[in-house]
Amino acid sequence: MALLSVEDLETHFVSRNLDNEVLVAHALNGVSFAVDRGQVLGLVGETGAGKSLTAQSVMGLLRPPALRVGGKALFDGTDLFELPTDTMNAMRGRDIALVVQNPRTSLDPLTRIGDQLVRIQRVHREISLADARKRAIAMLDAVGIPEPKRRMRAWPHELSGGMAQRVLIAMALINDPKLLIADEPTTGLDVTVQAQILDLLRDLVIDRDMAAIIITHDLGVVAHYCDRVVVMFAGGIVEAGPVGAVFGQPCHPYTRALLAATPERLALGSGRRFGGPPPDLYNLPKGCHYRDRCGHATELCEQTPSFVTVASDHDARCHYAASLKDQPL
Amino acid sequence: MTTIDLPAGRSERRWPTLNRLVGVGRRSPTATVGFVIVVAFALMAIFAQYITPHDPVEAYPRNILNPPDAEFWLGTDGNGMDIFSRVIYGARYAFAIAVPAVLLSIVIGVPIGLWTGYRGGLFDEGLMRFFDALRVFPSIILALAVVAAAGPSVINVVIVIGLLDSPIFVRVVRAEVLALRSSTMVEAARAAGNPTWRILLVHLLPNAIQGAMAQTAVRAAWAVRISATLAFLGVGIQVPTPEWGVMIRQGAEYMVTGQWWVALFPGIALVVMVLGLNMLGDGLQDLLNPRRKG
Amino acid sequence: MKVRRFLLRRLIFIVPLLLGIVFFTFMLVRIGGQDPVEMLAGPTATQAHIDLIERELGLDQPLLSQFLIYIGNVFTGNLGDSWISSQPVLDDILRRAPITLELLFWGVGLGALIGIPVGLRVAGRPDSWFDQCARVVSLFGFSIPTYWLGLVMLFVFFYLLGWAPPGIGRIGLVVIPPETITGSYLIDSLLTGDWEAAHSAFSHLVLPVTCIAIISAAPIIKHTRAIALEVYRGDAVRFARASGLPRRIVRRIVMRNSTVPVMTFVGTEITGLVGTTSLIEFVFAWGGLGQYGLNAIISGDFAAVQGYVLFLALFSVIVFLIIDLTVVIIEPRSSEAT
Repeated sequence: MALLSVEDLETHFVSRNLDNEVLVAHALNGVSFAVDRGQVLGLVGETGAGKSLTAQSVMGLLRPPALRVGGKALFDGTDLFELPTDTMNAMRGRDIALVVQNPRTSLDPLTRIGDQLVRIQRVHREISLADARKRAIAMLDAVGIPEPKRRMRAWPHELSGGMAQRVLIAMALINDPKLLIADEPTTGLDVTVQAQILDLLRDLVIDRDMAAIIITHDLGVVAHYCDRVVVMFAGGIVEAGPVGAVFGQPCHPYTRALLAATPERLALGSGRRFGGPPPDLYNLPKGCHYRDRCGHATELCEQTPSFVTVASDHDARCHYAASLKDQPL
Repeated sequence: MTTIDLPAGRSERRWPTLNRLVGVGRRSPTATVGFVIVVAFALMAIFAQYITPHDPVEAYPRNILNPPDAEFWLGTDGNGMDIFSRVIYGARYAFAIAVPAVLLSIVIGVPIGLWTGYRGGLFDEGLMRFFDALRVFPSIILALAVVAAAGPSVINVVIVIGLLDSPIFVRVVRAEVLALRSSTMVEAARAAGNPTWRILLVHLLPNAIQGAMAQTAVRAAWAVRISATLAFLGVGIQVPTPEWGVMIRQGAEYMVTGQWWVALFPGIALVVMVLGLNMLGDGLQDLLNPRRKG
Repeated sequence: MKVRRFLLRRLIFIVPLLLGIVFFTFMLVRIGGQDPVEMLAGPTATQAHIDLIERELGLDQPLLSQFLIYIGNVFTGNLGDSWISSQPVLDDILRRAPITLELLFWGVGLGALIGIPVGLRVAGRPDSWFDQCARVVSLFGFSIPTYWLGLVMLFVFFYLLGWAPPGIGRIGLVVIPPETITGSYLIDSLLTGDWEAAHSAFSHLVLPVTCIAIISAAPIIKHTRAIALEVYRGDAVRFARASGLPRRIVRRIVMRNSTVPVMTFVGTEITGLVGTTSLIEFVFAWGGLGQYGLNAIISGDFAAVQGYVLFLALFSVIVFLIIDLTVVIIEPRSSEAT
C-alpha cells in the first residue's frame, strides 16, 4: 500500500469583492495521486497550477481565504483530514516534514541554528539535551555543512542561501520522517548549489527508505531526481506516470507543450512556442480546461475528459491521449 | 465570476453605488458606524440654527449654571448660555477647522510626495531627514507653541494643523510613487515620450491618491482633537465662541464643585465626533488597502 | 566594539540634528504675530524704553549674529530668565523635569504593560470577539481628549465617590514631602520609610497615571497587533507550524520577533506622550515641567517656551538613542546592518 495516497482533493479560495459578492476560486479540483516508500514523486506545472497548495492542503497548513472542501489524504492508512488539530500538529515535523523555498526567512531569526535543531527534536520525542545536540551535529554533518560543531552556534542571518537550505533539510530530516515534501527547494540558489542540494535530498531519501515529493517547475529536476511525475494544470492533474514513460511518450498536449518548451528543444528550433494565460479559476470553463491553449482541441473537448490509461501506470486526462502517444513532439 | 448574492443583471447595474455601499457596510461595520456618526454631525452643523432652542451666545443672567431641565436640556454654563445649543453649534467649528486643515495638508503634501518620490535624489533624502527630525517634537506642543507665537486665530490654527500634518501625506504618496516608479506602466509611459508632468498627473497621481484618501478621515480626527486642545488651553479659539474645547475650558473648574454638565457634554460631543472619524478612517484603511486584511 | 561603532556613526547624525533643533527654537519666537519686546515692555512703554529692551535682548542685531549668540548661550547652559518665575530657565527646567518624568514613566509603563500583551494576544486570533473588543477600546483611546478624561476622572473619583484626593499637586497639603533623593515623592518616601508620605504620593499618582496609561495603551495595542500579525504571516511562523512546533512555542517565536519593532514603536510614542503628560499635569496641577511649559506658552514667556521645547526635543533624541542602542545590543542581526 502506498505511504500517502491523496484522493479527490478539493481546495477553494473564498473571498468577497468590493461589491460584496462572494467569489469562489476553484484552486484545486479533484487532485489524486499516491507516493510509496523509497520513491521520489515530482509535482510539476506552471505557476498557479496548485502545486504548493496541494502540499499545504495535505499538511493542513491552509490559511484563510484558502479552504479545503473535500477529499482524503490517507497516510499509512489514516485520513489526515480526519485527525484532531493537535494530533496533526504533532505529526508535522515528525512523520511528515516540509522543506520550504525561502530558507533564509523561514528559520527563526532570533534562535541559533543548533538550538532550533534541538528544539524540533525535543518537541517531538523524549530525548535528553545532550543526545539532541549530538544528533543535531551529526545531522548537520550529514547534510554537508563543514565544521558542524561550530555552526551550531551560528545565527540564521549568517548563513548563505545554500547553507540555510541545508540547515532546513537537516531540520526536516532530524526526526526521521516517513514523508518529505520539498516545495521548490532550490529556487533562488546557484545552479551548482541546486544540484548539490538535490543530490543530497535524493541520497538521504533512498538511504532512509523515505518517500519524497518534490514540487518544482523545472522539468530537468524531475528528469534527474524523480521516479514518478504528476503534471498539474489549473488545479487539476493532467498526466501522471513513471518519469521515463511520461517524458518519453507524453500523451497530454500540456505535457507535450511543456517538454517542447525546454531550452534545449527551443534551441533546436523544433519546439513550437506555446502560451497564453491560465484559465480564470473563478470561472472555469466546462470541459477540458486546457482547451483554449490546445492545438488539438475539437468540439469533443467541450466535454470533460476522464483519465485514459495509455500504458501501465501511465494516465493522461485527454480525449486524444491514445493517439498522441506515438506522435513525435 | 461566481456571484452568490446577486446575479449580475441590468436591474442591479442601475444602482451600482448603492450596491457597493451595502457591500462596504457589511464588510466593515466599523466604517459604517463611523460614517453614520460623521454624517449626523455634518447635518447638526448645517442645520444648527433650526434645531437649537436658544442662541448659542445669548446669556440668560438669571439662569447661570442651571442643571439640565426642560428649558435648558443640557443645562447652562457660567455665563448662563444654553449648553445644548452650544454643543450643536460646536460641530460647525469642528468641521470649519478640520476640513480646510486636511485640504491644506493634501494640497501641500500630495504634490511634494509625487515630486520627491518620482525624482528621488538629494532633495528627497534631505526632506525625509527633515521629517524624521520633526518627530523629536511632540505634535501637540509643536502646534501649541507655533500657534501661540503666531497669534491665536482660526486661520492660524488651520494653517498650523495643515502644515504639521502634510508630512504624513508626503510619506504616503511618496511610498506609492516609489513602488510604481519602476513599474512597466511608468516605463512604458516614459518610453512613449510622455513629459514628466503627464506621467505624474496621469499615471502616478490616480494610483497614489488612494493611499492619501485612506488617511483623510484619521487626519480630520486628529485636527478636531488638536484644535479643541488648543482652545482648551486658551490658545486658539477664544471664549465665548461655542467651540467644544472652549466649553470644556469653561467647565473645567466646575467639574470638582459638582456642576459636571458644563464640561461633560461638549466633551462627549468631541469624543463621539472624533471616534466617528477614527472609525471611518480605520475602515477606509482596511478597504482601500487590501494587504491589511487577511 | 559593535556598540562603539554604532555610537560614533550616530553622533555624526546627532550634531546637525541638535543644530536644527536649536535653530527651530530660535525661530519659534520670531515667526511673527506676538512681539516679545512689546509684551515685555507693556502697552504704555515709550519708544526709548522699547529700544532699550531690544538692545538688552540683542534684538537690534542682524538675525545671523542673534542666532550665533543664541547657540553660544544654549551650549553654555544659559537659556535666559523666565519672566514669570524670574529664575534662570535652566534651573526651572532641571528642578521640574524629574517630576514630569515620574508621571511619564509610570503612565507609559502601565500603558505598555497592558497594551503589549493585549496586542500580542489579539494578533494570535485576528477578527475574534476579543480582537473586535480590543479594536473598539483602542479606537476610544485614540479619540478621548486627554484633559477631558482627566476632568471626568476627577469628577467621578474625587467629587462623586471621594476615593481620590483633589487634583492639586503631587502630595497631600498637610503631608511633609520626603527629602529629595530621586525627585519622585513615591520612591523617595519609600526609600526613607515614610509610609504616610508614600501613601499620599501614591494616591495622588493613581488618577493621572491611569489617564496616561489609557491614552498610551491605545496606539500600543494597535501597533503591537499589526507587528505581531506581520510576524504570524511571515515565513518563520509558516515553517514553525510546518515543523509541528506547539502553539506555545509559536507564540514565543512571535513574541521574540516582535520585541524589537514594538520597543522601537513605544520609544517613538514617548515623544508624543510627553505632550499628553503636559496636558494631564495641567489638569491635575502637577507642578512639573509639562505644566510649566504649557503655562509659559499660554502666557508668552518666551525664554521659558524656548527652553521647554528645546528640552523636550533633547529628551526625544536621548530616548531614540537609548532605544537604538538597546536594539543594537539585543538584536543579533544588527551586526550586519552597522
